[in-house]
Amino acid sequence: MFAVHVENLVKTYDSRRVLDGVNLDVPEGESYALMGPNGSGKTTLASIIAAVKTQDSGVVEVYGNKPAQAKEFIGYVPQENFSSPKLSGKENLVYFANLLGYSRSQANQLVIEMLHSVGLSEEADKRVAKYSGGMRKRLEVATAIFPGIKVLILDEPTTGLDPAARRSFFSMVQDIMGRKTSIILITHIGSDAELASRVGLIDNGKMIAEGTPDELKRKHAVEDVITVETAVNTDSVLSVLKGYSIDGKVAESETGYKIYARNGDRVMADVVRSLDQAGHKVMRIEMAQPTLEDVFFRLTEKNLQEATG
Amino acid sequence: MRQISAAYIKAAKELLREKAALFWTIAWPIIWVFIGSFSFTGSVPQQVVPYVKGSIAISMMVFALMIAGMSNLPASIAGDRANGLLAKLKSMPVKPYKDFIGRISAVITFSLLAAALVIVIGTAVGARFTGTGVEIAQAIGFVFLVICASAGVGLIAGTLIKNLQGAIMTGVGIAVITSAISGILFPYEGLPVPLQTFARVYPISSAQASIVHLLAGPDMIAYNPLTSGQITLTIALSFALLLVGTVLYSRLGWKLE
Repeated sequence: MFAVHVENLVKTYDSRRVLDGVNLDVPEGESYALMGPNGSGKTTLASIIAAVKTQDSGVVEVYGNKPAQAKEFIGYVPQENFSSPKLSGKENLVYFANLLGYSRSQANQLVIEMLHSVGLSEEADKRVAKYSGGMRKRLEVATAIFPGIKVLILDEPTTGLDPAARRSFFSMVQDIMGRKTSIILITHIGSDAELASRVGLIDNGKMIAEGTPDELKRKHAVEDVITVETAVNTDSVLSVLKGYSIDGKVAESETGYKIYARNGDRVMADVVRSLDQAGHKVMRIEMAQPTLEDVFFRLTEKNLQEATG
Repeated sequence: MRQISAAYIKAAKELLREKAALFWTIAWPIIWVFIGSFSFTGSVPQQVVPYVKGSIAISMMVFALMIAGMSNLPASIAGDRANGLLAKLKSMPVKPYKDFIGRISAVITFSLLAAALVIVIGTAVGARFTGTGVEIAQAIGFVFLVICASAGVGLIAGTLIKNLQGAIMTGVGIAVITSAISGILFPYEGLPVPLQTFARVYPISSAQASIVHLLAGPDMIAYNPLTSGQITLTIALSFALLLVGTVLYSRLGWKLE
């Protein structure tokens, strides 16, 4: 039995299909990242699995039950901060423990352990209004890992966090992974998705690819990724770069253009020469291994960061 | 029971720690008890002044109850919906009606605390009250009706208005405007005839007039709100507002789609 089983799931808003025949299976203990841009349907999918919304058609099961009948197994952390800023971290957790049926004394005992496990023991009595974004998100994850919870659903948990807070957050998540809890991570950030054992790419309500991060990169982004930064970005630069990128696909980002090529070393030299001949100054050029964002671009021609805004 | 007490404790702590709620529900009516007690009693015969002050304190107590029900309650509902708590609660094995009972119980407690403080301060600045034990009990019943009607309006606003600021401002707006045009903030006898009719129909102003009649004396109110027809109308409309609010909240309050 899968921890989560989704079959031919359809959800429509105002005659627009936000989920269009999605299939997904997450075995017990697996960490699964669902990656896609805003509006791709990933949050809707997560909220249906979490029993927050209902589907129009299709099957969704959590340990063989409909989500509404499996709420005691589900730990859901929505994208928005839901902890009360007027309560302390400890008071927030005691509130959720009481909602789950723990007595006051049981809750107090359990909450101390949970605050320790998310690294907030010393901040337990501080009001959440004074927490940093990373601390608040860790507290909210703690509300979703009470004993008995088997499926943890994290919706864009690192949005707004700085790199240090993200590292700290994911080291905590990796500790949770050791508890045989299945994790579904909703994200638009490739480096976050890399931490999962399997990744599903979703776009326009459809799963467009699925596999381990390495499998996806091998299958869909076999080339080298060359990032080129020029003094100015013009159609002329774009035209030159398209000539060197496989399939003519060029991704634009804040740091410059990305092209995909085989034999990257040779292509880099050719690109610099061609741009120079066309009168464009190359400020920076570098080659890297493809990321999951590159895989997404190769499949959809959408830049994930830009599409997400 | 644990879910109810969890929702109650959370909502009560939030209300007591929310400066805006404390100001509008407790400080603002108390300020008006002071202003009213010292500004609007100059031309009143000396022996009547304590009862005028008593009626002012009662009016401000009713206003505090209105703000608690009409603004603090929808703010609590809309705020939790806006910040994602509702989505979180829907994913948990929590019964919506238990959250509702806990939440509304906290608002009632906060309302009564505010009401008690307003009356204590009113008494401290010279307000005096009349009334037998039975009349005091009847007045408490009308206080309960004010809470029901205000909470009903608050539930409707909190359910239908999804935006937090919108819910708060709508609640405050309804409380201020209806209390101004129904004889709660200004004397009934100074209102134009259509508004006097509104004051008799509006269950909160009718209940306020009843409390003043019972505890400050019949001379403090320009009509008799304690006729059987008037009382029946006040009770029916108070419960109707609460019923509509409860039904709307239970059907739509937890709906996120």
